[in-house]
Amino acid sequence: MSTISPTVDTHAGHGDDHGHHHDPGFVRKYLFSTDHKVIGIQFLITTLLMLMVGGALALGVRWQLAFPWESMPFFGPLFASQGGQISPEFYTMLFTMHATVMIFLVIIPILAGAFGNFLIPLMIGADDMAFPTLNMLSYWFMWPAILFFGLSFLFGGGPAAGWTSYPVLAALAEAAPGSGGAQTCWLIAVTFIGVSSMMGSVNYMTTIINMRAPGMTLFRMPLTIWSMFITAILQAFALPVLTAAGFMLVFDRLPWSVHSTFFVPSGLVVNNAEPTVGGGQPLLWQHLFWFYSHPAVYIMLLPAMGMVSDMLACMSRKPIFGYKPMVYSMAAIAGLGFIVWGHHMFTSGMNPALGMTFMISTIMIALPSAVKVFNWIGTIWGGRPQFNAVFLNCVAFVSLFIVGGLSGIFMAAVPVDIYIHDTYFIVAHFHYVLFGATLFGVFGAIQFWFPKMFGRTMSDTIGKWHFVLTFIGFNGTFFPMHLLGVAGMPRRYADPYLHPYLEHLLPMNQLMTISAILMGFAQFLLLFNFLYSMRFGEKCSRNPWNANGLEWVAPSPPPHGNFESVPVVYRGPYEYSHPDHSDDYWLQTEPPGAQPGAKPQAAPA
Amino acid sequence: MFWPLAALYLCWIAPERGWWFPSEAMSPLGQRIDDLFYMILIVTTVVFIGTQIALGYVLWTGARRTDPGNEETTWFSHGSHNLEVMWTIVPAGILLYIALYQIDVWREFRMRPYFPQEQMTASLTRMGVDTDVPGDRALAEVTARQFEWRIRYPGFDEDGNLLPLMTDPQPTDLYTVNDLHLPAGVPVMINLLSGDVQHSFFLPELRVKQDAVPGLVIPVWFQAEKSQTYDLLCAELCGWGHYKMKAQFVAEPEQEWLQWLRELHELQNEDGVEETDE
Amino acid sequence: MSGKPLLIIVPLCLAVFMTGCGSSGIEFREREETAELIPPAQDYMEELLAEHFGSPTASVAWEKLPINYHAATATVDEAGESGSVTLANIGRTLPINEGQQILWFVDGSAHSGQVAGFDEDLNALTVSPPAGADQNWAPPAPGARLTIGPGETLQQGRLLYAEHCQHCHGVTGDGNGPTAEYLEPRPRDYRLGKFKFTSTSTVRKAQRDDLARIIEEGIPGTYMPSFKLLTEEESAAIVEYVRWLAMRGETELRRIEILTLDFRAADAETQEELDEMIQEFAEAKEDDFPNDFADETEQIADSWRVAQEESSVVLPKTPRTPSSPESIAKGREIYLSATAKCVTCHGESGKGDGPQTMQVAKDASGQNYPVPGLHDDWGRLIEPRNLTTGIYRGGRRPLDLYRRIHSGIKGTPMTGFGTSLSDEQIWDLVNYVMSIPFEDRAPGEGPFVPSESAPEATVAKSE
Ligand code: HEM
Ligand SMILES: [Cu+2]
Ligand SMILES: [Cu+2]
Repeated sequence: MSTISPTVDTHAGHGDDHGHHHDPGFVRKYLFSTDHKVIGIQFLITTLLMLMVGGALALGVRWQLAFPWESMPFFGPLFASQGGQISPEFYTMLFTMHATVMIFLVIIPILAGAFGNFLIPLMIGADDMAFPTLNMLSYWFMWPAILFFGLSFLFGGGPAAGWTSYPVLAALAEAAPGSGGAQTCWLIAVTFIGVSSMMGSVNYMTTIINMRAPGMTLFRMPLTIWSMFITAILQAFALPVLTAAGFMLVFDRLPWSVHSTFFVPSGLVVNNAEPTVGGGQPLLWQHLFWFYSHPAVYIMLLPAMGMVSDMLACMSRKPIFGYKPMVYSMAAIAGLGFIVWGHHMFTSGMNPALGMTFMISTIMIALPSAVKVFNWIGTIWGGRPQFNAVFLNCVAFVSLFIVGGLSGIFMAAVPVDIYIHDTYFIVAHFHYVLFGATLFGVFGAIQFWFPKMFGRTMSDTIGKWHFVLTFIGFNGTFFPMHLLGVAGMPRRYADPYLHPYLEHLLPMNQLMTISAILMGFAQFLLLFNFLYSMRFGEKCSRNPWNANGLEWVAPSPPPHGNFESVPVVYRGPYEYSHPDHSDDYWLQTEPPGAQPGAKPQAAPA
Repeated sequence: MFWPLAALYLCWIAPERGWWFPSEAMSPLGQRIDDLFYMILIVTTVVFIGTQIALGYVLWTGARRTDPGNEETTWFSHGSHNLEVMWTIVPAGILLYIALYQIDVWREFRMRPYFPQEQMTASLTRMGVDTDVPGDRALAEVTARQFEWRIRYPGFDEDGNLLPLMTDPQPTDLYTVNDLHLPAGVPVMINLLSGDVQHSFFLPELRVKQDAVPGLVIPVWFQAEKSQTYDLLCAELCGWGHYKMKAQFVAEPEQEWLQWLRELHELQNEDGVEETDE
Repeated sequence: MSGKPLLIIVPLCLAVFMTGCGSSGIEFREREETAELIPPAQDYMEELLAEHFGSPTASVAWEKLPINYHAATATVDEAGESGSVTLANIGRTLPINEGQQILWFVDGSAHSGQVAGFDEDLNALTVSPPAGADQNWAPPAPGARLTIGPGETLQQGRLLYAEHCQHCHGVTGDGNGPTAEYLEPRPRDYRLGKFKFTSTSTVRKAQRDDLARIIEEGIPGTYMPSFKLLTEEESAAIVEYVRWLAMRGETELRRIEILTLDFRAADAETQEELDEMIQEFAEAKEDDFPNDFADETEQIADSWRVAQEESSVVLPKTPRTPSSPESIAKGREIYLSATAKCVTCHGESGKGDGPQTMQVAKDASGQNYPVPGLHDDWGRLIEPRNLTTGIYRGGRRPLDLYRRIHSGIKGTPMTGFGTSLSDEQIWDLVNYVMSIPFEDRAPGEGPFVPSESAPEATVAKSE
C-alpha cells in the first residue's frame, strides 16, 4: 500500500501575492467580510467550536447514563447543585441542548454555511456569491441565535423539551423548569438560524443557476455542487414551515392577550396552575415540525454525500461511478424527503391510515440511498485508492452510512417501529447517519480542502490518528445503542436502571461512555491539527491532490475574486486516469488537445 | 476495516448476554412484530455483509494495485447502465415486498374497524357486563400525568354487577395508580388519556406503544398471553420525571380480575369501622 | 509524531475517572437561623448535630430515637448447639441474610458475630464467629439482645432516598432539592416533624404506615408521584430514613429556637454585650444545655413513639351513612353552618375560593404575611382544596375523607372537627363532599358513544 501526501509547492508563497488589490482593513477583511471564502472559514471555525460545546454536553449525558447520580467531574460543580450531581431536570436540559447545538449550530451550518460558502463559487468558477452582503448577514445571523441559546440557560436551567420541543411540554411555561423563558429563547434562536439558512439558501440557488463559468453545464457540475443546490432547494421549501410553526408556538406562549392556543387543548392541569382553556391540537406541531425536520435530516446529509463523492473519485483516481444516477438519486431523496415526515409520528395517534402511506414512502426512500452506496463502492472499484486521512474518512462515511440506512428500514416498518420508537435504536440510527456519515464526511472534507483555505496542508499522520480513534470511539459508543434499543431502553431517561428489566444494561452503557470519552478527546487532535497547520503546516501548491475541479485552478488560498481570469470549462470534473491523457487527472479547464501532462495552470490570461 | 466483523460478532453474542428483547413477545400481535423484525434483520444482515464485503474487496484490490511495481492500470469507467438498473430494481422489489408484507399487522393493531371487537364483547359478556349499551369495550381508562399513571376502572352496581366504563368519571368508579390489572388471554382495550403533557404508554414485553396525547382519547388494545406481571413505562419525554413513570401491568384470568376488582371496590369504600366491630 | 497522541489521551482519560470518584460533596444543610447565632453557638449546633446524626454518608444511629436503624433486632430465647439460637421478639425491617453482622452486649461489653444461616419458620439463627475472633468467642446466651445488620436499614434508606427522593426533598429533607424550585406545591420540608396527611388524631405525629402509604400512592394533584413498585422492605427503609431526617430536623429546630432567644448576634448592640453573651453561652453550655437537650430529645422521641401506638389512629365509631340525597343535603347544611365553617375557606361551590382566602393571615410570630391568603406552618401560601375536581391529596376512600375532616390536615389552617362534629355529621359531610364533582350530573349519566363514522382511533374528550 502506498500513500501520497499532498505535493509541496517549491515556489511556496507565490500564490499569496496575487490578488491583493487593496487592503480592506482588519474589520472588513476578517469580521464583516463579504468574501465567500472568509465567510466560509468563519462558519467553519464557529461550528467547530460549537462541536466542542455540543460534545461536552453529550459527555454530560453519557456520564449520567454510565454513573447515574454520581458527582460529575469538571462540569458538575458548575451547573448542578448538590455536590455535582446531575439533577433530572438538568439531564433533560443536557440532551436537549446537545441535540440543538449539534443540529442547528454544527451540522447544518458546517455543511451549507462553511463548505457551501467556500466551495460553491470556487467550484463553479465564479468570483463570489451572487449576493455577498446577504451572505455576510447569513453568517452574522447565527450569532443572535448562539446568544439566545446561551441566554436560555439563565432561565430555569435551560430548555428541556428535547430538540423536537413537542407541545404541550414546550407550550406551557409551568410544564417543566425549562419550559419558561428558556423555551422562548430557544424558539427565537431557532428562528434566527432559520433566517440565516434561508439567506444562504437563496444565495446558493441564485449563484449556482446564474454564475457558472463558461462551459460549466449542469451535468459538468461536481456532485458537491449538485448536492448544495438540492439542499438549498430543500431549505427554501421546508424552512418557512418551521418558522411559521415556531411563531405559532411563541404566540401560544405569550401571556398577554395574544395567548393563542394552536397547540394547547382544554382542561390540562400542569403544576397546579389553572386548567388550560384552548382547543388546539398538539399533533399539529408534530406535523409542522417534521415537515421541516425530515427534509432537514437530508439537509444534514446531502452536502456530505456530494463532497464525499468528489473526494472518493479524486482519491481513487477514478471517475465517479454513475454520475447521473448519483444526481437523480439525490433529487429523488429530496423529493421523497417531503412526503415521509409522518414516520416520526407512527405512535403519535395520528390517523392510522396515514401510517401506511408514510410507511411506503419511507421504505422507498431507502432505494436512492442504496443506489448511492453501490455507486460509491463502484467508484473505488478498480481504482488506485490513496489511503490518506481524507480517503479513510470517506470510506468510513460509506461504511457507516450503510448501517444508518439499514436501521432506517426497521424503523420504517410501522409495526416494528411501534416497539423501537423512542428507544435507543432511534438514537443509534441517527447517530450513524449524522455522525457516522455526515461528520466523517466533514472530517475528510476539512482535510481535503484545508490546503485551498489556508495554503497549507494538515498533517496526514495526525489526521489518521484522529480518524482511527474517532472511528473506534464512534462504533464503541453507538453500535451498542442498537442493542439497547432492542432491549427496550427508552431514550431521554435520566435513570433507566430504575426499571429492573434494564438494570443489566449498565455495564454496556459504561463501555459506551468510555468510548465516548475517548472519542471526545480525539477531537482535540483535530483541533490541534487544524490550528497548528493553519500557521505551521507545509505550504502547498494550487493543486496538492492532483484533482480536477475548478477550485484547484485558483491559487491557494485564492485571493479576493478567486481566479486570475475567468476559467473556461471543457469537461466534467471526474476525468481521472483517462486513457487518452498521460496524467492521471485532467483539469476541467485544460483545453482539449493541449500538451498532454501539462502542469496545472490558470486559464490563459 | 474490521469493524463490520466486530459489529456482527456483537450482534451474534448479544441475545445470550441479554442485550436483546426483554423477553419473547408475550402477545400474538407482538409475535408477528417480532417475526417481521427478524425478517428485516435477515434481509439487512445479508445486505450489510454483502456491501461491507464489496467495500472491503474494492479497497483490498485497490490497495494491491497501488503496490509499488504493480503495473495494473486504473479501470477507467463512468459507470454501467446495466448495473445501475439492476441495483435499482432488485432492492426496489425487496423493499416493496417488506412494505406490503406488514400492512395487515398495522391495520389490526391500530385501525378501529379491524379491532377484535367480537372477542372483546364476548369477554365482557362472560363477566356479566351489559353489552347492549352502545359504546366501546374499554375496561379501564389510563390517564398519564407527570409522573405517574392514574387508572380508572368501572365499578359495580348495587347488585354487584360490573358496569361498563363511561367516558366521564362516575361515583362508582374505582381507581389505582401505577397498577394496571386486566384479564389475560383475551384482547382487552383501554382508553388512553393525558392529563397534562404528552406521554407514551409502553409495554415492552407486549410490544405495545401508544402516545397519550393531551385532548385525545385513544383506544389501545392488546392481548397478554400469560397471566403475569409486565412492565409499563413512559416512552415520550414528558419532563424531568419522565424516567420515573414506572408502573406494572398485571394480567390475570377473567374471574380473578373480577375478584381483584371487587376487592378494590371494598378497599375503596372502606370506612374503617369493620375493624372495631362497633 | 504518531506515538504522541496516545500519550496525551491516556492520562486525560484517567483524570476524568479519578475526579469522578473523589469527594462526593453531599452534606446536610443547616437551618438558616443558625447563621444568626453568635459563633460559638453555631459551632455548638454543628457539633451537636454531627455527634448525634453524623453526615449523609456517615450517619450515626442514635439509639435515643425510635428509629429502626438495623436490619433486625431480637432477643435470644434458647441457645442450642454450635452457635444456633432461637429468637424471640423479632423486629425486622430488612430480611436477615447470611453474612450480616450481629452485635450484642454482655455486661456492658460489646460482642459480635455473623449470621451463618437463618430459618424463617423456626426463627432459628446460626451465629458464627467474626473474622479474626479469638478462642474465647462464644455465641450469645439466652436473654441477650441482638442487633442484626447494624445500621443497614438507615443505610439502604439513604441510598434509596438519594435515588428517588433527594432531588426534590433535598439532602437534608428540607424540601429544597434542585428540582423543588419549580414545583407547586413545594415538596414537603420534613424538618418540622409534621406530615400533612395522616391517620392519627390532630395532635399526633404521623405513623410509619402513613408515610408508606404516601410513598406508595403518591399525592394526587401534586408532583409527588406514586412509587408503587418499591418492595415493602424498600419502602420501609425509606420511611425510616425520612423519619430520621424529620427527627434530625426537629432536634435542630428545637435547639435553635432556644438559642435564638438568648444568643442572637444581632441582639448584642455593643462589643461588651457580645462578649457577655459569649460568656453566658459558655456557662449555659456547661450547666443547662445537657439537661435541656436530653429533655427535648425525650419529648421528640416520645411524640413519635406515641404516634405509633394503636390508640393514635383515628377510626370512626359509626359506619358510613350510605350516600343519599338526604344525607348529602344534611352534609351541605353542615358545610354552610357556623360550627364547621367549611364555606369560609372552600367557598360556596366548593371551588376553594371562600372569603378567608382573601384575608391577610398572621405568621407564627404574629406578623402579617406580605400577601393575603391562607398560609401553612412552613410559611407558604396555600389554597383550600378545590372540591369540584374529585382529586383528594390524602386519599379518596371515605375513611380518608373522614380523617381529613376529623383530624384536619396537619400544619395547615384545615383544622380537625373531630371534637365539634359527631360521626354522623362527619359522614354526611363526606357524602356531600364526594358528591360535589358530580353535582351537575345524575349518577350513571353519560355513557361513552363513539362516533361510528370516524375510522381513526381518536375522539376528542369533552370536558
Ligand atoms: C434509508 C433511509 C432512512 C430511513 C428509511 C429512515 C427512517 C427513519 C424513521 C422511520 C425514523 C423515525 C423513527 C422513530 O422515531 O420511531 C427516523 C428517525 C430519524 N432519522 Fe432516519 N431514515 C433514513 C435515513 C436517515 C438519514 C440519511 C438521516 C440524516 C442524515 C436520518 C436522520 C434521522 C433522525 C435525526 C431521526 C430521529 C429524529 C428524532 O426523533 O430525534 N435518517 N428515520
Ligand atoms: Cu425522518
Ligand atoms: Cu414520560
